[in-house]
Amino acid sequence: MRTLSMLLISMISFPLVFIRNNSIYQAIVMYVVMLFATLLVFIYAPNEQMQGIVQKIFYFHVSSSVTAFSAFFLVFVASIMYLWKNAEWWDAVALSAAEIGVVFCTLVLITGPIWARPIWGTWWSWDPTLTLTLVLWLIYVAYLMLRLDAHDPKRSRFAAVLGIVGYVDIPLILWSVEKWRTLHPKPVLIQEGGTTGLPFTMLFTFAVCLVAFMLLFFYLLRERISIIQSQHTIEVLRHQVDNLPTG
Amino acid sequence: MKNFWYLFAAYSTIWTALGVYMLRLSQKNKELQAELRALQVQIEKALTR
Amino acid sequence: MSGSKVFLQQVLALLAKDLKTEWRTREIFTSMFVFSVLVIVVFNFAIGADTELIRQVASGVIWIALSFASVLGLQRTGQMESEEDSLQGVLLALHDSSALFIAKMLAQVVYLLIVGLCILPLCGIWFHIDFIACIGYIGIVFVLGILGLSIVGTLFAMITLHTRAREVMLPMLFLPVSVPLTIASVYATAQLIAGMTLRDIVDYISLIGVFDIVFFTLALLVFDHIVEE
Repeated sequence: MRTLSMLLISMISFPLVFIRNNSIYQAIVMYVVMLFATLLVFIYAPNEQMQGIVQKIFYFHVSSSVTAFSAFFLVFVASIMYLWKNAEWWDAVALSAAEIGVVFCTLVLITGPIWARPIWGTWWSWDPTLTLTLVLWLIYVAYLMLRLDAHDPKRSRFAAVLGIVGYVDIPLILWSVEKWRTLHPKPVLIQEGGTTGLPFTMLFTFAVCLVAFMLLFFYLLRERISIIQSQHTIEVLRHQVDNLPTG
Repeated sequence: MKNFWYLFAAYSTIWTALGVYMLRLSQKNKELQAELRALQVQIEKALTR
Repeated sequence: MSGSKVFLQQVLALLAKDLKTEWRTREIFTSMFVFSVLVIVVFNFAIGADTELIRQVASGVIWIALSFASVLGLQRTGQMESEEDSLQGVLLALHDSSALFIAKMLAQVVYLLIVGLCILPLCGIWFHIDFIACIGYIGIVFVLGILGLSIVGTLFAMITLHTRAREVMLPMLFLPVSVPLTIASVYATAQLIAGMTLRDIVDYISLIGVFDIVFFTLALLVFDHIVEE
């Protein structure tokens, strides 16, 4: 249920992809919100009584997770649009979103164990959401590997197919991993680590962290897309230079 | 503060990773912009010759 | 109506061509079968002499063997097409390019089913498992699971056909995406071995079924994009 709600939330920010360019104003807003979020996490949010201070990892851990899901959803939509419209821009969006998604996914897979170790006593526990993140990481790393030779136009189409397949697979992976989880004994938990019934202070902190991460995600996305577009323009210009009349 | 270093490890990982990535992106962008401008100048020079 | 009849004929013709070529040399099947046996034997050594433990992991070992054999078979099938460079020629002759996909997928199903049938008695003997008691239900799981492996596998085989690191890319794409299928098949088989009936594994079977339907539809939808020049 928690993963499903995270997935749903991650789809909301999608319209932001249509803001095409980074402005200094957007960078400042992002910086300020991130600063505010950090402040909230360390000063405003109360210490959870069972887990202590380590619980604060969760704010950025879950935000990274939702951002990663957002990124992969974007890859999904962009892949469909690319196959449909054949526009280069959608392909650039897909590649950028996949790369940034893998970055945030990696962060989830690193901060997860760092949180789990003091709380559960083990580094890894095959928790359904974490396992889903691991499988997604594998799928989208494979996506990036497939894209390494980015100039073959067919390569973009193959990657688009993978982008669609990967996301469609998510509910199936979730279903199967949750079923699989019920067969395995849970690790003996030192303390329960749940996020149900959060007080308002924590919820507010979560919300601000989420907004901060989303702003960061779309900022990074725009940067990455502009890199791809510059590369294309350079190619076109190089081609022009080669064909210039000499003398 | 029990387990402080775990907290520190997690946040420093996040910030280092994101920071490095952002630096790489902006550096790449600057390089590409420079190259773009050089090419444009080159083309302009050739056309106005 | 005649359109679908032509389609069916084309699928069967392609399938027959592939199977006939394979029947002549039996290269693909032999390598798949031998590899599966190797996987099972090596696992046996790795896990140790504990018979009870081996019985518990038998299902997983079988499906791992099938997954890896599937990767092997797909690579060889893809290689065949690219070696003769016949892909474009075949596509030109086809009304609807998805006929190629279905034919290749069915060929893969046939290979995997035969391999599966051959390794089952071996596993029965080596792992002391009585497959005959549940052979009907295991057959259902095998058919559905192998269908899923073939659908996803053929899709990615066509995609990775011309990539540089083909041997690595195919398993890298195929194995993570088919995780739900692997999980469901392994546990359905394991529960059947442990003596449960079809009713107990209904949700695993429905997961495999949904997986098959979803990916088959998806594959048909995107196949044109994969093969068009």
